[in-house]
Amino acid sequence: MTLEAEYSPDADRIMSVSLGPQHPGAGHFRIKLWLDGDYVVRSEPDAGYVHRGEEKMSEYRNYIQNVPHLERPVILDSSNILFAYALGVDELMNNKVPQRAQYLRVIMSEANRIISHMYFLAIQGLFLGHTTMITWCMGDRDFWIDLAERIGGARVTFAYIIPGGVRNDIPPSAIEKGLNTCDWFDKRMDEYEKIFFRNPMVHQRSDGIGVLSREDAIAYGATGTVARASGVSVDVRKDEPYSAYEDFEFKTPVMTQGDVYARAYVALLDMRESVKIIRQALKKLPQGPVRLKLGPQPRVPAGEVYSRTEAARGEMSYYIISDGSPRPYRLKIGVPSAKNLRVLPLLLRNVHVADIPPIYWGLNYWPVEADR
Amino acid sequence: MVVAQQQKSGAFQVLVGKIDDVLQYAIGDPMRYLANWGRLYSLWPVHLETACCSVEIGAAAGSRFDMERFGALEAFGSLRQCDLLIVMGTVTRKLAPRLKLVYDQMAEPKWVIAMGACSITGGLYFDSYNVLRGIDDIIPVDVYVPGCPPRAEAFLQGLVLLQEKIRRAPSLSGR
Ligand code: SF4
Repeated sequence: MTLEAEYSPDADRIMSVSLGPQHPGAGHFRIKLWLDGDYVVRSEPDAGYVHRGEEKMSEYRNYIQNVPHLERPVILDSSNILFAYALGVDELMNNKVPQRAQYLRVIMSEANRIISHMYFLAIQGLFLGHTTMITWCMGDRDFWIDLAERIGGARVTFAYIIPGGVRNDIPPSAIEKGLNTCDWFDKRMDEYEKIFFRNPMVHQRSDGIGVLSREDAIAYGATGTVARASGVSVDVRKDEPYSAYEDFEFKTPVMTQGDVYARAYVALLDMRESVKIIRQALKKLPQGPVRLKLGPQPRVPAGEVYSRTEAARGEMSYYIISDGSPRPYRLKIGVPSAKNLRVLPLLLRNVHVADIPPIYWGLNYWPVEADR
Repeated sequence: MVVAQQQKSGAFQVLVGKIDDVLQYAIGDPMRYLANWGRLYSLWPVHLETACCSVEIGAAAGSRFDMERFGALEAFGSLRQCDLLIVMGTVTRKLAPRLKLVYDQMAEPKWVIAMGACSITGGLYFDSYNVLRGIDDIIPVDVYVPGCPPRAEAFLQGLVLLQEKIRRAPSLSGR
């Protein structure tokens, strides 16, 4: 590498260290670090430990068989990755998805956004040395999982949003439970603000750490919470409304500091908006069918489609090429984690070793998703 | 003459065997029981996430399922202090040598839980070009927890099964 050339005057001061793939942060990922004492001089992410060949696998499964394995990369946020896939296939097949199904899709994908952000905040709390946050968030996340389980039938992998609608109707009890959960969670988020976001310890530990400027966020193509924390207002739900998102009132939270604190706080603000959307959707849920009859092996007309949704981590996109057979000819998944990973070497420079975990996790990076 | 000598040494061996038995009952067994009892309630899992099943480990370690009440606490220390390797899901070709390395670095006695369909047979990814079809090709497995992902309760049951196995371990070394 060019490291020696770059730091030739005191090359012997520099120590190269490998962080991962087994390390007390998130596993299945490795960062090569060059350290000068306690400072990180340079870093190089080494991804690919969980590359499972999703894209190749989708070429020998038909459009319905592809549903379960396509949600596995983002198991925390499984509805949103399927949402983009379903949108793409629906567009190729010219499906008129019923209105009730559109609403249910929105409800499920917003519930998943909350589940994903809660996991993010829990681990971020752990990395910032705030044990209350991990116990609270992990516990409260389970109430949302309970709701999603009542709708989708599983704890994390629902396979709920499928081409042509949703897999099953929402049970009547889930509507009331959903509204109650929303009310309770609003109060709960105020408590998070008190105990975590207004905590001087958290401020000292995360203010001004890992700052990503607005220009860099745009130049590197960051998406989702990372871009919004740096003052770039990107939100596919607003920019290019899909499904039923035009019917709901919500804002795109944006912050300007671009540091670790802002990235965590944007996640909380995101959850507030999600709660609003879920409440509106549950209140005005239209009647009607929830699914089109597609048959077990639907034929998809030849064509190409690009579809995208706003997942919890950012923009999730699919590029599907169909040649008229029951299987995709080519399926490309564009995941937000891979987009945000480009920022990591930029942020892990001239920082303390102790700041590596919050910066790394602050990008909301999920290796399984990035490697596909 | 020869017969008599044989009889004599036979009797001697029986005596030695009896003493051995007595020692085994009086000292060996309680020691074995005590050592394994100590091990079974202080399992230290390695934090090696291999794929998406780690989400359910997060839930199991969280406040609702609380795996700590079974005596297993997420270890954020050295591999040398750990005695339980939970393989959380898919092991790819790139990760497999690292997994073996992690296993080799742990001190004896050590146990392995294979969590999720992927680590048992390859699961959903059985026909992928980059995925190992089951980790028992590279490391020995004690308990299999099926599911994709297994629920947190299922994982906890696997943990309890492993503890039962450790309690019944036939030797002092815990294996
Ligand atoms: S068993 Fe399922 S959840 Fe677990 S790693 Fe494999 S695909 Fe992921």
